[in-house]
Amino acid sequence: MSVQHRNHVQVSGTGAATMFFAHGFGCDQNMWRLLEPTYAKRYRTVMFDHVGSGQSDLTAFDKDKYGSLQGYADDVLEIVREFGEGPALFVGHSVSAMIGMLANLKDPSRFAAQIMIGPSPCYINDGDYVGGFTRKDIDSLLETLESNYLGWSSNMAPTIMGAPDQPELGVELINSFCRTDPEIAKHFARVTFLSDVRSELRKLTTPTLIVQCSDDFIAPLTVGEYLRSALPRSTLSVIENVGHCPHLSSPSRSANAIDDFLAKEGL
Amino acid sequence: MTAERDLPAEKETLLDSAACALMQTSADGMFLRVNRTFCSWLGRTSADLVGKRRFQDLLTMGGRIFHQTHWAPLLHMQGSLSEVKLEVLHADGTTIPMIFNAIGVERDGVLIHELAAFVARDRDRYEQELLRSRKRLEELVAEATRLRDDAKERALSAEQMMGIVSHDLRNPLSSIMMASALLAGGELSASEQRFVSKITRASERANRLIGDMLDFTQARLGGGLSVSLGPIDLHAAVSESLDELRLAHAGRALLHVQSGDGTCVADASRLEQLVGNLISNAVAYGQPDVPITVTSAVEPASCVISVHNAGAPIPPVTLATIFRPMTRGAAAGSANRSVGLGLFIVREIALRHGGDAFVTSTAEGGTTFRVSFPRA
Repeated sequence: MSVQHRNHVQVSGTGAATMFFAHGFGCDQNMWRLLEPTYAKRYRTVMFDHVGSGQSDLTAFDKDKYGSLQGYADDVLEIVREFGEGPALFVGHSVSAMIGMLANLKDPSRFAAQIMIGPSPCYINDGDYVGGFTRKDIDSLLETLESNYLGWSSNMAPTIMGAPDQPELGVELINSFCRTDPEIAKHFARVTFLSDVRSELRKLTTPTLIVQCSDDFIAPLTVGEYLRSALPRSTLSVIENVGHCPHLSSPSRSANAIDDFLAKEGL
Repeated sequence: MTAERDLPAEKETLLDSAACALMQTSADGMFLRVNRTFCSWLGRTSADLVGKRRFQDLLTMGGRIFHQTHWAPLLHMQGSLSEVKLEVLHADGTTIPMIFNAIGVERDGVLIHELAAFVARDRDRYEQELLRSRKRLEELVAEATRLRDDAKERALSAEQMMGIVSHDLRNPLSSIMMASALLAGGELSASEQRFVSKITRASERANRLIGDMLDFTQARLGGGLSVSLGPIDLHAAVSESLDELRLAHAGRALLHVQSGDGTCVADASRLEQLVGNLISNAVAYGQPDVPITVTSAVEPASCVISVHNAGAPIPPVTLATIFRPMTRGAAAGSANRSVGLGLFIVREIALRHGGDAFVTSTAEGGTTFRVSFPRA
């Protein structure tokens, strides 16, 4: 099975470096549609779906391999090796920021920059560390996912209402947004929210940008600050945004933060 | 002032007491307007909510994570979503399952969200029930799979054990056979002679049983019975084995009918074993005063060996599984009783010759076992 097919890899843009976009839990590569076109003018761009999400090959899903973030990171490294030209600039949202870091740690020579949007190395509170959640909260999420079994397994297509304000979206595309197999979604939720990669942070030698939202329920400000102090070559950029997806709700603020960082790093 | 804000009193009343909950929130989720239905379902007032609470503040922790990871990005990307089920916090601390539709719309150049919802207690209960059933089913399937794997493993080790034991019994048994042969050659009284020939016959039978068991384990575990095919004369092979069988079954008439030229490709010693097993069967279950007829026929493309005996027919139930190991007829318990591997081995030998074994049994026609396989 090809990596292209497995992860539904989409390549566009041209440039001396390659920018990779990795979506987080709950969605797919469509999340990048406001941000990626900006960068396709300057870089070769690569978007993909993690196995189990979007239009990835669901038959490639393996509970054991994807039982930890490392399984996803191994896929990322394969994608970077196969589709990258020149240095890799890795943009990861939420859990994918950490997946990108794990891929980087296996082969740092490939990566010139890590851009983390709403990252968290550990979602669960642990002693002095405040991740923002307890184990019970995650169980509650699993229940919510389970009770939306019907909707998410078939589609969340706005068939009743349409998307009148967004005529540029094809019906086909709309139908595939964030559609997931409910069992896989639960598995990914568990792996994501129970992950803890804090011990790996200090090993990351690549320049890193932390794009932190001013009000983010999933990755609170304290987590961004924790990362800033734990990652050796990191810059923390706090942007005005409510919610966990600034690349959708504040795309220009997100792009400004990324551009400042890339300019500073000479990329 | 837009038309929507300047609602006529009648329309306002209709929306306020609509049969579903209606909400307007900012893109951040802050309540801008709520209708009375929503407030009364949740034991809250408009004053508690508007400008003070965000929609996501009324969700469980799981719901809030879901809101951030699924609801918000989806609403951003496709402008609407439907049929999302979330637990909403009532003022008294309990939660109420509600199903939401939401759209993003522009009002005065500002993006806001409009939500409609209804209480889904019964649907929620029904879904919980379905989920529980599914879980139970999954557990049962897992249990059944485990039991089946266990059973397979046990059967396998029993068969392996059988192979090992049979093999190990061979050495002491050949000592007994050798010793009784030596005794038989010495000076013996009449009664001693009787005892020795009893020992000889019993150990020969034991040896045959062990042979069957070894063949069985080889067929089951060793990838099939070993056969060495070569040019033989079928009639001669059958005739030779009948000569020996007449000695073993003194008092029973065994007829041999031949047809066609006997040359074919087969394993003569396996065919002798096959005939031996079929004759033992016919002797054990057939009518004693009617001869057993063995036919060997060589046709242009195939060879057939059949053994016929008269007597009561085999019941249809037994007939269906007669070639399976350890299937025994009603007469089991006679002197010729075996572990029930004879016919299994007959069929295995037929299969290894590229053929098969068949049986017909009626009250009028008696019972005929027929084995056919390609001539070359």
